[in-house]
Amino acid sequence: MSDPLLQTKNLNKTYMLSEGLFRGKRPLKAVNGVSLEVEKGSVLGLVGESGCGKSTVAKLILGLEGLTSGRILFDGQEISKTGRREVARRIQPVFQDPYASLNPRKSISSIISLPLRVHKVGDRRSWNRKVEEIMDIVGLAPRLKQSFPNQLSGGQRQRVAVARALIMRPEIVICDEPTSALDVSVQAQILNLLIDLCKDLDLTYILISHDLAVVEHLASRVAVMYLGRIVEEADTEDLFEFPRHPYTKALLASVLSPQPRLGLPETHLGTTYPNPIDPPSGCTFHPRCPKATDLCKTAPPDPTFDGNRLVACHFPGPLH
Amino acid sequence: MNALLDVQGLHVEIPLSAGILKAVRDISLSVVRGRTLALVGESGCGKSLTALAVMDLLPKTAVRRTDRLIFDGQDLSGAKERRMADIRGNKMAMIFQEPMTSLNPCYTIGNQMEEALLRHRSVSRKEARDRAVFLLEKVGITAASSRLKQYPHQLSGGLRQRVMIAMGLMCGPPLLIADEPTTALDVTIQAQILSLLKDLQQEFDMGMILITHDLGIVARVADRVAVMYCGQVVETGDVTEIFENPLHPYTQGLMICIPVPGKTQRGQHLGSIPGRVPTPIGDLTGCTFRNRCDFVFGPCGNEVVGLREVSDGRAYRCLLSPENCARNSAGRPV
Repeated sequence: MSDPLLQTKNLNKTYMLSEGLFRGKRPLKAVNGVSLEVEKGSVLGLVGESGCGKSTVAKLILGLEGLTSGRILFDGQEISKTGRREVARRIQPVFQDPYASLNPRKSISSIISLPLRVHKVGDRRSWNRKVEEIMDIVGLAPRLKQSFPNQLSGGQRQRVAVARALIMRPEIVICDEPTSALDVSVQAQILNLLIDLCKDLDLTYILISHDLAVVEHLASRVAVMYLGRIVEEADTEDLFEFPRHPYTKALLASVLSPQPRLGLPETHLGTTYPNPIDPPSGCTFHPRCPKATDLCKTAPPDPTFDGNRLVACHFPGPLH
Repeated sequence: MNALLDVQGLHVEIPLSAGILKAVRDISLSVVRGRTLALVGESGCGKSLTALAVMDLLPKTAVRRTDRLIFDGQDLSGAKERRMADIRGNKMAMIFQEPMTSLNPCYTIGNQMEEALLRHRSVSRKEARDRAVFLLEKVGITAASSRLKQYPHQLSGGLRQRVMIAMGLMCGPPLLIADEPTTALDVTIQAQILSLLKDLQQEFDMGMILITHDLGIVARVADRVAVMYCGQVVETGDVTEIFENPLHPYTQGLMICIPVPGKTQRGQHLGSIPGRVPTPIGDLTGCTFRNRCDFVFGPCGNEVVGLREVSDGRAYRCLLSPENCARNSAGRPV
């Protein structure tokens, strides 16, 4: 195996939440010891319920939030030492809501060319050429250059967001829920575009989504997060066929595939997602876990490796 | 079986500066007690407006026309606001999409829940409170009586959605309209809320209209399905028929757009519907789907496309017969 393109080592992000004027502050561990490796050309899916810290991981990698502790290595070099700007050149985000992530007062060409202007790459004429080039790649008609976001449909807006991310020719694109604000027919168009771009431009994706069908379709490897930790990580096929962590099992069971006659699944999860300020003792999943024992209530499980599978559970399911 | 709600020829038109927006065109639907009708379609297809038109809650500028609107044996097509106010929340209730925005942040949960019962029934405050506690427990909220004193911001999204459901059930309405009841929720909670709705439906023998764009939810929850496109119903039938043998090219397109574990191959292209939904303003002759359709031919542009009934309760709006719009396993037309 070659060196991974991106590596995170024991990432931690703790927010200090104010409890009121005189009560001091309490820590909220949004990301708790996350170690990931992303191979070049692969797609890493990051899944979990809202509030599990998956978007925070993305922000940490992008440098939009400061690390509390841990290291991020890009091509073997530590990112915090190379500076924000250099990182932004090589890692770019595509955000969830194309209605909120585009400046409504700027024209499409101005939105797409902003990264070039910020990084002072080339001159005005080359910006124009590059904008046209990238619009062609993502399937936007050149006539839209002088349009404004409100004149575009949701799918077109998301194409603009993708074009903006790609104009610097980054190596990694972090897609945070790239299709969840879109309609079904448009979602398929954007997913097809992402698949094509990955092959044509030799990109690496980190795909954050709560839609497991989308993740299964795109990702080559999947990491499942729960309360700021990775509880299971494996190649997509293995994870979807033989989930080992009870949480992964419940997540997969709750996917409603469009098959009538199957009825609704029973996940046995309960609905109370624990308060991240006051996480449960031991294994943080134990209050919702059908297999929990006394051991789970007291001792947090250490992540164990089997081949290239990771699972953090005292009683993981079988490998096959 | 006698229909609880019978709507024929419903139109909703909204005058805009660019012309009249024909948001809902000639929709007919019926709902039976104990059964669920799903209205499926993409944003802007008129599914929410259809529900609002039934409730008579349309925005002031919108104009509703209907040939027939019979609910629970009463003709409501020309009902005055006072009469509707007696029915709304009482005989038909609606669960709105966003529990964050549709609960009043200034009142406690208890206040908002009791309001419907106090308005429609002659009950005491205590009776209303008991009913609220009973229903909160029904929807799986623990420590229900203490929750009544809480404000919406003190509850999580999943809890707020449950409160919305319980609130809709306060008067035991025969008809419940649920507009995207789980869109704002996590997948793990979504399944639970939906099974809860199904259980309560059986228990209270309610008719339900479920509005959603999520085909997974439709497949698992609905009994009957009406697929909407651009203000019209383009296909209707029982849920298994719609999913196993979709007849309209748009329904077929929706089915091949979604990745299905085990069916679609990873990293391969999904099917997609090219183009975008037209705005229903001005002249709408012919089929509104023709610009995106794989099977388009000459007459699609100028003929009136009516609903073709193939069997009892199964119809679709297309000029082609089923054998002429067949697709191969890859979703391409043959």
